[in-house]
Amino acid sequence: MSASVLTPAETSTGVPAGAGRPPRFNWSRARETSANQLFLVPVALVFVVLLIVPLTQTFYWSFTDFTGYSADVKWVGLSNYHKVLTDPSMLAGLGFTLAFTIGTAVLITACAIPLAVVLNKKFFARNFVRSVFFFPAIPSIAILGLVWGYILSPLGSGVLNSVLNSLFHAGPYPWLSDATLARLSVIVVAVWGGAGWHAMLYLAYLQSIPADYYEVATIDGASARQQFFHITLPLLTPAIVISNFLLMTGGLKVFDLPFTLTKGGPGYSTYTITQSIITSGVAQGRYGLASALAALFTFAVALVAVAQLWVSRRIERRVL
Amino acid sequence: MRLRRTVAALASLALALPLAACGGSSGSGGSSDGKLTFFSWDGEDTMKPVIAKFEEENPGIKVEFSNAPPVAEYISTLQSRILSGTAADVFAIAAENKTNLINGKHVVDLKDKPFLENVPKFNQTTYGGQDGAVYGLSVASWGAGILYNKDLLAKAGATTIPKTWDEFLALCHKLKDAGVTPYLESVQAMSTPLSAFLGAESAADGDSMDTKIFDGSAKFKDYWVEPLTQWSRLWTEGLVTPAVVGLTGDQVRTEFATGKVAMMVAGPWDIPGVRKAAPKLQIEMAPIPGIDGKPPYLAGAASPGYAINAKAKNPAAAEKFLAFLDTPEAMALYQKATGAITVTTDFQPTLDPALAPIVKDVREGNIYLPQIAWKRAEDILNVEATAQLQLLVQGKASPEQVATALDIKLASTS
Amino acid sequence: MKQRRSPITSVVMIGLAGLVGVPLYYIVVNTLKTQEEMTRSPLALPTHLFLDNYQRIFETVPLGRSFLNTLIVTVAALVVQLLVGSTAAYAMAMRASRFNRIFGALLLLGFIVPGQSTLIPLYRMLVGAELVDTLRGLVVIYTGGAIFCYFLIQAYISRLPFEIIEAARIDGAGPFQIYWRIVLPLIRPILVTVGIFQTMGIWNDFITPNVFLSSPEKSTLVLQVYRSVGEFSTDWPSFMTMSVLVLIPMVVFFVLTQRHIVSGLLAGSVKS
Repeated sequence: MSASVLTPAETSTGVPAGAGRPPRFNWSRARETSANQLFLVPVALVFVVLLIVPLTQTFYWSFTDFTGYSADVKWVGLSNYHKVLTDPSMLAGLGFTLAFTIGTAVLITACAIPLAVVLNKKFFARNFVRSVFFFPAIPSIAILGLVWGYILSPLGSGVLNSVLNSLFHAGPYPWLSDATLARLSVIVVAVWGGAGWHAMLYLAYLQSIPADYYEVATIDGASARQQFFHITLPLLTPAIVISNFLLMTGGLKVFDLPFTLTKGGPGYSTYTITQSIITSGVAQGRYGLASALAALFTFAVALVAVAQLWVSRRIERRVL
Repeated sequence: MRLRRTVAALASLALALPLAACGGSSGSGGSSDGKLTFFSWDGEDTMKPVIAKFEEENPGIKVEFSNAPPVAEYISTLQSRILSGTAADVFAIAAENKTNLINGKHVVDLKDKPFLENVPKFNQTTYGGQDGAVYGLSVASWGAGILYNKDLLAKAGATTIPKTWDEFLALCHKLKDAGVTPYLESVQAMSTPLSAFLGAESAADGDSMDTKIFDGSAKFKDYWVEPLTQWSRLWTEGLVTPAVVGLTGDQVRTEFATGKVAMMVAGPWDIPGVRKAAPKLQIEMAPIPGIDGKPPYLAGAASPGYAINAKAKNPAAAEKFLAFLDTPEAMALYQKATGAITVTTDFQPTLDPALAPIVKDVREGNIYLPQIAWKRAEDILNVEATAQLQLLVQGKASPEQVATALDIKLASTS
Repeated sequence: MKQRRSPITSVVMIGLAGLVGVPLYYIVVNTLKTQEEMTRSPLALPTHLFLDNYQRIFETVPLGRSFLNTLIVTVAALVVQLLVGSTAAYAMAMRASRFNRIFGALLLLGFIVPGQSTLIPLYRMLVGAELVDTLRGLVVIYTGGAIFCYFLIQAYISRLPFEIIEAARIDGAGPFQIYWRIVLPLIRPILVTVGIFQTMGIWNDFITPNVFLSSPEKSTLVLQVYRSVGEFSTDWPSFMTMSVLVLIPMVVFFVLTQRHIVSGLLAGSVKS
């Protein structure tokens, strides 16, 4: 069974749908094709109106001195782009954004897949457990910031510090005040929030693996571990691709979580690119500059996304 | 614009036809004489009694109130609305966006309007511009000083509130020796003690410190090094943990309310929270002790003002509203809801007794906050300053380096 | 297939869930305490049930109105998103032409652009169409989420056995019938999953209603939560209480629907 993200299914006989037909013009076929194509119209409409048009506007503004307040703008050519690439504070968030993206992608995938497998089994209180794991993704980040700020408080009275103190007599750790620990903490909180969500995604894909496969394997004498690595994991590859695509693009665009936990500090250690975009656009009224950063950023993320999908497809072809 | 409109209309038609039955009607009606739109970050509960009284006294006018949470969401929402011409007739102008609003000529000059007569000069100039122009009606100010836990102080044998910074640090040592955490301050934004030191310095210099820095005749390095050095003594003398860069104001207040720390930085907004969490605590507020023989001072600023949209649809009603807002009766309603330190000369606010020591200074404008006094690039400098202060606390930067960083930042924005 | 209900799994998972759920527990438990108690012992169970927070919210906040607004927007937006997303996924599955594939790749742009970059232009557009401060306008903005739905559904469809669809086509069924009667039931697991994701997302979304709505009567539930946010400090008891109230419908919704994330394929109907 072959599967990949961007190419549609082949029939089970391995022949692409629609290939191998006689070359004469087939009216019913043409009607059918155009009827099928019509199904693309709604999403095309959404895409153009809600994405392309606004993007073009933003792109235009990146070449002007737009403040965000008045449509009276002056053309400034490439000076915004130049500023983005030369002003160190604009790109201050680059390092951490990358670290965050890769860190969360790896950790969440490593947690979500086993979690989904377990949540797929029947056990007492399964529904309750599913809900608990999924829910960190739901409350507003503001409130999660409050709770985690309390848990990770650097003082002895913080939850984590008091637990560590009573169990191991380990001194109070500056979870959010030390640059390295702050970065780790933000990533851990993100994993806490995202693992359950992605586990639900994997759970849906697990449903499409026929139970027969496991039965046959069990009869053949394969252990649970072997079944996981030779049946489950390969068949989950499409889900892994999607999940990681979302994690990559989401991670690169992250803003809310680090900002609520640390406001980008201490120093600039947990600053993110989107934070730069928002601060320069909103608080500083340099919306043209923000647009330039956003345009460059979009381009960079697009490159990463394309690269990631290309790599994924190669892996998929190998595995399946 | 028209093309975009047609495309948008087509799209919304295609997608919203089934919803024609539900969903609200379009909010903006025509601009009838009797409608006044008002947008601020005060809550609905706060403004409702004020608005109700206004409508009662002006039966022909109906006020449509909308709000957004402070601060960033408010500013960005206001920004989009001004850009699209849907901004309210009256909106709040804050320190964070006043430069953009004033330079972009989006607000009306209120100079010489009768309702400015009872507003102190300090509040007028905060939201002012060239030639004595005034762009916002600011009726309150806030000030932040040190909040003392009198019980803990007594336990360590201290009876008087320190007036100089040296006395303050000595008190910290005394408390530390008695086993009490002396002081905590959240370092995730501009520092209150530092602001107070700078304010005292600026006042001694005839309030010209920032004018000089921003017109190039002086540098941050000329003024900031001594205040920074004094402030950093809290850490260089081992009195406060460097972990404060990861503490929020809420967390500091919780520590204070549970009696784990003797002193903290506080403003009027902290008092209700502390009272609720620890009703029996004996607390008192005082201005920040002075350095270099200068008097104690407060960090603080004028509260956001009410501004009239330059493109207001109902400017007459807008003026009437502003005139109403600083009358004693409106002040009474507003003050009751927010507990703010109002500054209008014809109304004396009733406040928590713990605040008594700072009220006079706040009302007279003996308050200072760098990002409000700066002439431009406030946010850029503020972000840089916060990061630098965190480095200073962690011992990774010296006071000279911090001041120099600010000079470099300022130079890069011109 | 029968699975043994392992008690070890239950114990381990419930324990893990307990750990993971500590922050959620913190939120709920502290809404039932006085502020004094919350400050002193945040993680302990309340000594007595303090219902004042909830009472105050019920009295001062227009919950019913906001709930209705949120419900209307969420349901309408979800239906539109699922329709637009699944129709597009279906079209992509039926025909793998070059054009379609390039178009599909272009759609990925929807994930790459940071939301803030398109907010102001979208706002101006809606002003032009006179849809600001309307619930309909909100739904229009949320329609953009259809691209996410498309993405997930399309990947899922591409893994389904095509024979069933081929069979229906040979039988003479038109594209719409195939879509409605065969494909939709087959993709039930992913539809439910995407439905859950999007419902949660829309229900709890703050930025979009904040920017596009202004009249208090059109407020959604989440906007009410942020009423407690002040300039210098937040009224955390109110904020948390409101947040819990906003979460409750979502908990109910989730518990009811996640049972449907079950296989749409009958075991044995697939011979590979």
